[in-house]
Amino acid sequence: MKNSRCRAADVTVLLACTTTFAFAYDGDWKRGRIYYRSVCTACHAAQAGGSIAPSDMTKAQWQGYLQADKHAKGKDSMKQYLSQAYRASIKAQNKAAEKFADVPEAELYEDLKAFVIRGAKDGDSPASCS
Amino acid sequence: MLKSALLAALTAIVLALPGISAQAADMKLNTTADHSKFKELQREFTSGPDVTKACLGCHTEAASQIHRTKHWTWEVINPLNNQRLGKKNVINNYCISTATNLGACATCHVGYGWVNSSFDFKSQENVDCLICHDTSGNYKKLPGGGQPPVKDTENPPGSGKIVKAIDLTAIAQKVGKTSRDSCGACHFFGGGGDGVKHGDMDTSLAAPDKEVDVHMDATGLDFTCSTCHKAPAHDVVGSRYMPTGKDSGDMRGKVNKSNPATCQSCHGQTPHKAGAQPAKLNQHTDKVACQTCHIPEFARGGVPTKMHWDWSTAGKLSPEGKPMLKKDAKGHVIYDSRKGDFVVAENVKPEYGWFNGEVTYTLLGDTVSKDNGVTLINALGGSASDGRSLIWPMKVMRGSQPYDPVNKTLVKPHVAGNDDTAFWKNFNWEKAITTGMQAVNAPFSGQVDFLKTEMYWPITHMVAPKEKALGCVECHARGGRLDKIEGVIPGRDANRWIDLIGWLAAGGTLAGVLLHGLVRIARRKN
Repeated sequence: MKNSRCRAADVTVLLACTTTFAFAYDGDWKRGRIYYRSVCTACHAAQAGGSIAPSDMTKAQWQGYLQADKHAKGKDSMKQYLSQAYRASIKAQNKAAEKFADVPEAELYEDLKAFVIRGAKDGDSPASCS
Repeated sequence: MLKSALLAALTAIVLALPGISAQAADMKLNTTADHSKFKELQREFTSGPDVTKACLGCHTEAASQIHRTKHWTWEVINPLNNQRLGKKNVINNYCISTATNLGACATCHVGYGWVNSSFDFKSQENVDCLICHDTSGNYKKLPGGGQPPVKDTENPPGSGKIVKAIDLTAIAQKVGKTSRDSCGACHFFGGGGDGVKHGDMDTSLAAPDKEVDVHMDATGLDFTCSTCHKAPAHDVVGSRYMPTGKDSGDMRGKVNKSNPATCQSCHGQTPHKAGAQPAKLNQHTDKVACQTCHIPEFARGGVPTKMHWDWSTAGKLSPEGKPMLKKDAKGHVIYDSRKGDFVVAENVKPEYGWFNGEVTYTLLGDTVSKDNGVTLINALGGSASDGRSLIWPMKVMRGSQPYDPVNKTLVKPHVAGNDDTAFWKNFNWEKAITTGMQAVNAPFSGQVDFLKTEMYWPITHMVAPKEKALGCVECHARGGRLDKIEGVIPGRDANRWIDLIGWLAAGGTLAGVLLHGLVRIARRKN
């Protein structure tokens, strides 16, 4: 009984720590803007039939999209394009990927999120893709 | 037991991780102060001045420093000619004048509440810290008093358009250094819209790539405005009212009073170190501004700039009696009933002229006349022979604007506002100019005519990659960019007869050498 209480307490602490860390970082929308435009838009414009402006979707739509983590109509994960591995793979051709090569994925995710939410159709500052 | 040990170990690791991660994630490297941690800012703010009071609690000298600057006074005395300049005084050929239009214009003033002459310029609390130091990008002020909306507000009154309230506490807790975004919130929108006025400044500079500007390249050097426009004691250097035509001063780091915002202050007088002919290129720097070769075109970021504004056609209404907008194929407004006809352009080749830094404005009260042709809003000094000038690239803004044909003066019309005399409300020039001129105690005959004007804007932003700098023939060839510039330019000013004589001399010399050689060879055989 005592052990199980300890374990429960440990798990609670562990979750609390994880949660605290998850929300500790305040997304930098300016860095998100550079990554969105220089990496996401650059690739979409060149290989995916056109760019998508943050203002093409509402805040709720962006939040839903980011939470679902589905890219290319569910064919792959959106987050993989924020990963350090992905950035390393394109940094020779992409200056933004090179500049942010060492930024933790979780931070870059928050940056990007801050930018698209701010730039959404109903956001504080609707943004174009360029 | 094993499970407990594992869990304990895992917990210990996780407990340790946030410590390390939080330290890394929480520590800010771009500032020494996290303003969200200050108790003074952890409360609700009911107005802009309320925030300023909190700022001044620590930054005790900031407001007094601001009070000394042109960002506050909107007034500058040009020591070269004693002209009283600044936004408060000059007339331009965009929205013409700030005089009675402060309700709109002063949303970009670094203060709160400037709508007329009763504004208290000595008030410390009226200084707006957030307009420059907001980093959230969410700060804004409303026309008609320049106050931030702390609750949802209908703007303009009666329009049904609601401006959402902003969270002053959140904004105050995220203040920081100025940025391209914070400076650009006003300077990118000079003239009433994105890119309208300057030609080399628009929202494309908020996060530009190298093609648009090598210095501000967001993934490269990432200069902010203040990297060049240093601001000792809040006084930003690099004014367009007293620009530096030819910087012969030292590079930064030495004790001198030269302008730190010039190219030379970092690159020196012999900036070309590599390439095909660095010495030859360096010979140009005493006659040609760096910008002339390195900014081949302006408005290159996808945002057009206004090149022509014809106020004389303003006021046309639709058959239903309503104001109209006409747009070009790209969706850019080219006619607005409130403002007249426009010409907008992107990727514009500059015009060029000698410039020594002297600027003389045509101010209210100066005599103007249609008989004189085009009236220069700002005449730039300079010549090929004064030894103080360089050839500069310019945006030349042309237009037609109202003037008083009886008193022969430019006028300051009241255009913005929700009252009966504002031109954008009633489309009546006589009423609008009467109100505007009364406000500045200037005579107005009651008659209105329009005259052509030009305004000169030396171009200095949007520096292109060196590979895109102008080649020799762009300027030296006949019909090139400098075709009409005063002075002697090799290539352009070639004389056919002198060239012929030169070629004959060179050809004759070559023929003589060959002949001499042949004779020597022939004689040796003999």
